[in-house]
Amino acid sequence: MTVVPGERATDNDAPTSTGTWPVPVGASRFITRGKLALSAAYWLAWLSFSRRTVIGTGIQREFVSLGLGSLRLVSAASILVGLIAIFQIAYQLSEYGAEMMSVRAIGWFTAREFGPVGVALMVVARSAAGIAGELASMRANGEIDALRAMGLDPVKYLVAPKLAALLVAMPTLTILADGLITFGGWLGSTFILKYSTAFFLDQYRVAFEVRDLVIGLAKSLIFAFVIVLVSADEGLNVEGRVAAIGEAATRAVVYAVIGVLGVDTLVNAIFYFIPVLA
Amino acid sequence: MIEPVLKVETLTGPAGAVAIFDVSMAVDPGCTTVVLGPIHAGKTMLMRHLVGLEAAEHGTIIVDGEAFDARGEPDVVLRRMRARIGVVFQGAALISRLSALDNVELPLLEHTNATADEASDAAHALLTEAGLVNDHDTDPAQLGRAAQRRVALARALALRPPVMLLDEPTQGLDPHAASELDETLARLQSVNGFGLVIFSHDVRYAFGRADQIYVMSNGSVIEQGTPEAVRESDNDVVHRLLNRRGAA
Repeated sequence: MTVVPGERATDNDAPTSTGTWPVPVGASRFITRGKLALSAAYWLAWLSFSRRTVIGTGIQREFVSLGLGSLRLVSAASILVGLIAIFQIAYQLSEYGAEMMSVRAIGWFTAREFGPVGVALMVVARSAAGIAGELASMRANGEIDALRAMGLDPVKYLVAPKLAALLVAMPTLTILADGLITFGGWLGSTFILKYSTAFFLDQYRVAFEVRDLVIGLAKSLIFAFVIVLVSADEGLNVEGRVAAIGEAATRAVVYAVIGVLGVDTLVNAIFYFIPVLA
Repeated sequence: MIEPVLKVETLTGPAGAVAIFDVSMAVDPGCTTVVLGPIHAGKTMLMRHLVGLEAAEHGTIIVDGEAFDARGEPDVVLRRMRARIGVVFQGAALISRLSALDNVELPLLEHTNATADEASDAAHALLTEAGLVNDHDTDPAQLGRAAQRRVALARALALRPPVMLLDEPTQGLDPHAASELDETLARLQSVNGFGLVIFSHDVRYAFGRADQIYVMSNGSVIEQGTPEAVRESDNDVVHRLLNRRGAA
């Protein structure tokens, strides 16, 4: 039997070996991010409560990669941030004869801002490109399609484990960073500014509030969501060409940084305009 | 009369960027159908529609007696359809972060009530059945191409689907490895009785393997029938394809 087609595809219409790539753009990108967020939250809850065996979710693997892998960077950078902060604040306040307040400033800002935001930016720098690149190359290799063709949700197997790992890793790293920033501040105040340790502890105790720590940890959880969702969305929605993998990784870093700082600005604005929440 | 395990009716898609036109086909249980055509003929796109990876403009896909709207179905319906179709993608498309064994366990744990131990035992058996006796715990990247295809074959077979789709299964393999893989495929088909659809540009392979051939060009089926009938076709495009590839 010979079939006579009514209309012909051109070579431009022809699929690649991995098919077409419906890459969302503009407003539809926000919709895909929203859907991804809902889906990831759903599968996160499923992974947390289901008794079914799930293979390859790799939460432990992701925790090692995203969390423990950031340990050296976060540790080194946090001590330096502590040193830089106390030098800079002491220098600025010395003009007003209030150099001693620099220790309090460390106490004020560390748990609420320096720690969570610093950790988030370091995790973005180290891991956002990795997440996007990994998912983008899996898509280019047809692995995402293979999962879907088996009736498996890629978000469940690839995104939710990263989210679960980072939701544990980020607060943990934030607590570590808070401690090491404080340690850096103590180093600067003791060995450069020549204050005693007792003075440092006294001043720090006056400035530090557990409430700041709680707010900082809550922010770190929000940042974890932002980092994973932005990076995963960039990785899962790439075009089917090799160069697109690198582009997706770059976009993931840029948008994740903007996302983290945007969320932080929003939280600070809320606390500023509604002081009772702060 | 034998009911086809896979039937495609007037499939045109994907929606918004049509690349295949009014494709209709039927695959009988236990039979091998080869969709033959040059690169960019629309073979892979057709396969993607058959597993719901693309939404069509119109058309119906009937799998094992149940009709699915090719324009798109809810996830829960697609999931039911996909559980009945085993797919081996071009290049195997194994999940790189999982071992060979884990790749095969995936559909078992997702679609059945098997425990981890049961799924593991079944996956070992499937890999052995597909001809991979060792290296079950190896990462896909450490395996050769032929071994990767065998893992993909075992994974596709995990739910014992009535239909198997294979995209260029022997591409990139040396003749010996290709022949061995093909023997394994034939053995699995005779044991499991699945309807097999192979998407290939290899004319020799198609004519040596098929019970039925669909020739595609520019997104449309331009000829179909037994290998003998296709060889006798008076369609110029088919003639050119066969003469150039040396099937006649």
